[in-house]
Amino acid sequence: MIIEINKLKKTYAGRTVTDIEQLTIGAGETVGVIGNNGAGKTTLFRMLLDLIRPDSGEILSKGKNVADNDQWKQYTASYLDEGFLIDYLTPEEYFIFIGSLHQMKSREVMDYLHRYEEFFNAEILDRGKYIRDFSKGNQNKIGITAALMQQPELLVLDEPFANLDPTTQIRLKANIKSLKSGTLTTLISSHDLNHVTDVCDRIILFEKGRVIKDIYTNENTLEELEAYFSQ
Amino acid sequence: MFSTFLHHQWIGFWRSRNKGGTIAAQVILGFFAIYLIGVCFLVGFVMEDLIDKFLPGRDVFTVFNGIILYYFAIDFIVRLQIQELPTLAITPYLHLNISKRKLLNFLQIRSLLSVINIFPLIIFFPFCIRNIGLEYGIFACVIYLSSIFSLVIFNNYAALYFKRVSAENIKIVIPAILALAIVGGLEYLHIFSIAAFSDELFSFIATHPAAGCVFPALAISIFLINDRYLKNNLYLENLRSAEEKKSSTDYPFLDRFGAAGTLAALEIKLILRNRRPKATVTKALLLLFYGFIFYKGDLIASSQFGKMLFPAVFMTGNTILIYGQFMFGWQAAEFDGILANSVNIKDFFRAKLILLTISASLLTVLTTFYAYLSWKILILHLAAYLYNIGVSSIVVLYFATRNYKYIDISKGAQFNWEGVSASTMLLALPILLSPYLIYFPLSLIGPYWGLLGITFLGIAGLITRKFWISFLANEFQKRKHQIAAGFRERS
Repeated sequence: MIIEINKLKKTYAGRTVTDIEQLTIGAGETVGVIGNNGAGKTTLFRMLLDLIRPDSGEILSKGKNVADNDQWKQYTASYLDEGFLIDYLTPEEYFIFIGSLHQMKSREVMDYLHRYEEFFNAEILDRGKYIRDFSKGNQNKIGITAALMQQPELLVLDEPFANLDPTTQIRLKANIKSLKSGTLTTLISSHDLNHVTDVCDRIILFEKGRVIKDIYTNENTLEELEAYFSQ
Repeated sequence: MFSTFLHHQWIGFWRSRNKGGTIAAQVILGFFAIYLIGVCFLVGFVMEDLIDKFLPGRDVFTVFNGIILYYFAIDFIVRLQIQELPTLAITPYLHLNISKRKLLNFLQIRSLLSVINIFPLIIFFPFCIRNIGLEYGIFACVIYLSSIFSLVIFNNYAALYFKRVSAENIKIVIPAILALAIVGGLEYLHIFSIAAFSDELFSFIATHPAAGCVFPALAISIFLINDRYLKNNLYLENLRSAEEKKSSTDYPFLDRFGAAGTLAALEIKLILRNRRPKATVTKALLLLFYGFIFYKGDLIASSQFGKMLFPAVFMTGNTILIYGQFMFGWQAAEFDGILANSVNIKDFFRAKLILLTISASLLTVLTTFYAYLSWKILILHLAAYLYNIGVSSIVVLYFATRNYKYIDISKGAQFNWEGVSASTMLLALPILLSPYLIYFPLSLIGPYWGLLGITFLGIAGLITRKFWISFLANEFQKRKHQIAAGFRERS
């Protein structure tokens, strides 16, 4: 078990956006978090990354409350939105900076990036542009790659498939699947039911901050979810 | 439409984060403005007596004529510092069914609603009406009034134009600083006198009133220049087309500071690659000439450091004050990322201090040119420098942890025209005033003791830096969620 959430609550202006009694995520799971807008997916991720404070309750990462110390940062990599990118850097500079936070030399970083050449589709490296001048989809690629590059034990991605072109979506799915192992735990939120059921072993469905469904994926999952959303 | 824009600005102001601080600053500024208006009235109505009293025997008209351009020259410099560019985030209006003309007009007319534009009218109009009218006739009086009014308009738009252009392209700042320095220097050395020129000009106008039409013409032309500039720049993405290849860089000399050095290098890139911070830091160079206003021969001769402490602290530490107060705001856009990545908060603060120390050191080296006035200035600057890097930088970082306002740096200064304004200057007061608390008691023993006291305070701050970094990191931890939430709200 890597993540344990207890009695977690968060309200904004009287509206409950997160209300989780108990939720645990085991090491090595690939978990899809789904739900309509306002279901509290991003809020949950932000609380998990100690970016916002819960009103009550706690999130334990490897048994330690994320709000109390920074140890989780050593093994957690995340990409929620462009707010995670440093937009006045070139992609190379950004990767090297992120690498340096994990004691990677710039040489190692550049070597490591070779394996993403296909994913980048020659649109990221050596373009002579700052990150802010890239399209949203390419910014997403940079953020996701920077997260993967940290070789984390816990990977948190908020709507990674959004804004990506179809080819890249397929490559990203393959990539995430290939990373599945006993050690990497992945949390992915998405609006694309096909993608999450394809990639994830477990799906957690949120509605207004509450867990409505928590299921392990099987061949009927997609239909079940589609039935829920078309109500 | 004009009133709708004003209304939007008004509710924007009331609904902004940081409301408390802004309102407090506005109230203080408001009182200050009322006080100044009162002073202007007084000066305006007793101008004749004042001239008689302070410069007995001089012709009242000569003195009055001499003051006019002098006033507007200083007025222009003051405006560059404190006049705020009318801020209306135009982006949400650009795609709507609102003609560009209306947006332009709003920006242009809004800028006239400033108290700075009222002062000269109150100061000069009474004398013009009462004395010029009597002496030279109604026509000359009207010309005088229109000339002064035109100068107000001219200064208003010229200052805004200069601010806009320099925010776009900092290269223009260097010749401008040189020009200012040359005029200032000539005035200082009594080679060229603005006052004498002003007197000649207005004496001529008094006798040949038709010549006074030159001022309205100037005012209208600067208005039109400004207008055209705004019109050409009323686009979301202009000036970004001239793509040159951006290359990766690094700063090896920062490597010795480890993780903090990496973060400092990151922030240097932030400054160099974004219009907003770049313009802010460039202004620091302009402020290096403050000394000419304050450093007078008799003050230096009698070692009255108390009167020179303010410019010394300000000049050697103005990046600390002006850049430092938005310390985290500059990084607002990527703040979530910094928090979620494994960045040690102490390293984060260490990086800020490295950066502030480097900038203060550079400024101090640059200010050594004042040594030609006296070597005493060097001692004064050294004391101020140590105080700045030891104490001011810590204080500024502390206040920065209480600033939750998002700053848009990537869109540049284009439509985001809040820069150094009077309200941000106000926040600098504690730093500029606190050295006096040390200096004054000790200066009763001797002026050098006062400086020594300030130096010691600075060195004490440097020695205890570790403690302060922990302190700041703790303060930061308490408020980081608030800061991050504020930065996420991009209005």
